[in-house]
Amino acid sequence: MKPSVKQISPLIYEFEWDSKVSDQLLQHQLSLKANLQKDFGSAIIELRMGFKTLAVVLSKPLEATLLEDWVKSLNLKKSLKALPEKIWQIPVCYSKETGRDLEALAKHKNISQEELISLHSQPLYRLHFYGFLPGFMYLNGLKEELHTARKSVPDLTVPVGSVAIGGSQTGIYPSSSPGGWHLLGQTPISLFDSKLSIPVFAIAGERIEFTPITIQEFEHLTKHPQKPISR
Amino acid sequence: MIKDIGYLKILKTGPGTSIQDKGRVGFAQYGVPTSGALDSRSLTWVNHLLQNNHSDAVLEICQPGLQIQFDSPTLICLAGAKAAIKLNGGVISSDGIHEIRESDLLEIGYFEQGSILYVGIKNGFQCEKIMKSRSWYAGITAEVFAKKGDQIPYFTKQDLPNYTASKARWDFKWSQNNIIEAYPGPEWGLLNQNTKDLIESMQFTISELKNRMAIQLSELLPNSLPEMATAPVYPGTVQLTSGGKLIVLMKDAQVTGGYARILQISEEGISILAQKQPRQLIRFLVKKNL
Repeated sequence: MKPSVKQISPLIYEFEWDSKVSDQLLQHQLSLKANLQKDFGSAIIELRMGFKTLAVVLSKPLEATLLEDWVKSLNLKKSLKALPEKIWQIPVCYSKETGRDLEALAKHKNISQEELISLHSQPLYRLHFYGFLPGFMYLNGLKEELHTARKSVPDLTVPVGSVAIGGSQTGIYPSSSPGGWHLLGQTPISLFDSKLSIPVFAIAGERIEFTPITIQEFEHLTKHPQKPISR
Repeated sequence: MIKDIGYLKILKTGPGTSIQDKGRVGFAQYGVPTSGALDSRSLTWVNHLLQNNHSDAVLEICQPGLQIQFDSPTLICLAGAKAAIKLNGGVISSDGIHEIRESDLLEIGYFEQGSILYVGIKNGFQCEKIMKSRSWYAGITAEVFAKKGDQIPYFTKQDLPNYTASKARWDFKWSQNNIIEAYPGPEWGLLNQNTKDLIESMQFTISELKNRMAIQLSELLPNSLPEMATAPVYPGTVQLTSGGKLIVLMKDAQVTGGYARILQISEEGISILAQKQPRQLIRFLVKKNL
């Protein structure tokens, strides 16, 4: 499972894997990331991840084939580490008050709202990386029955904390923004705090679990914010 | 040096006025965009003339109609667009250093050339630094765009700071260039030869859809690429949408995207593009050898 490496600009390189998005691929990505940090740490300005990619921005140009040779010589199997065990519990109020598309999506899928909620809140979702908005988690693990094409006309405002489905993805809007996903509910948990040196609570490889709460609990947690808990 | 705080007051502004520096580097792993001055060449230039740090914060102005007042003495430096500027009612040049005294009024009028004007200030604007940058961005800083009544802090001195009245000329010519240097992006290789030839030979038009996040080009390409697994993007990444449109990502762009990334523009190219006005034409010069 060796990635190919492409130079994108004098200082940007990208590793790409030709395999399906999976826990195993994520393990390889995280292992390559750790190796890059170990071997090129001082020359790395920034690392960015995608579902099948890992990109690195360097502070100075490297010799043409250096990274290619480096990745070839790596013994990735040896450095492969198990993914973290931590599971974060995100309370979600699934209701038409907090998820304007819940009713329509259930109807569209020809299931009850309860079935929709249970299909969405049963699985554990794997956090692969952050993108789209500060603190937005790219999660893998949405059940195929729930895959839904994005709205053809995006909503101008999606409320902060909205839990939504778009294509084969599910996610939480960490801030209010325009968006084309179908809104099922809302979490009262804050996902991003720019005042903290690490502004997010979960790291790549950890898992997320959505736990249904009532509208009363949602209102209570909105007034008395709590930090997310893990198990 | 005794540093007292002075304030620049916004009396009137069009849309798109903000504080920017070199940007927020190292936080993309949390989904935080780079941000920073769209035209980093002009940012570096004003800070250089003011003998500031090269990353000190400046005021970025994207529309005519700005009126600002300084409550204490300082030096400012202008660069970027060629615009009609008045200091206390008198016409001044839109490039180079100007002395500011207490209560001076600066007005930015019609943009004759270019589309972004920068006002640098001695020691830089002193807005709060969050995640190692003062650049304004929604969800990170309290302010996103300047509005009437805002007061922006800077350091002042009772006496005017010393400066060399150097006659360094700001050359507007570089931003007139319509050739944008670009490197092949990760998905360049997926394009067919005909589309590659078109991209390298066609003229593209800057559309009205131009902001701090992205610039959309007007022309449609006959060949499009399907959406792909979400992958990293940068300021300067050119995306080809599934509808055949080209989108050039700018400084406030998301850190990841799902469209094919066919080109990556250099920092210099981003500065040139940022200064283009809608309806202006550009060409890409694709550099195959890095």
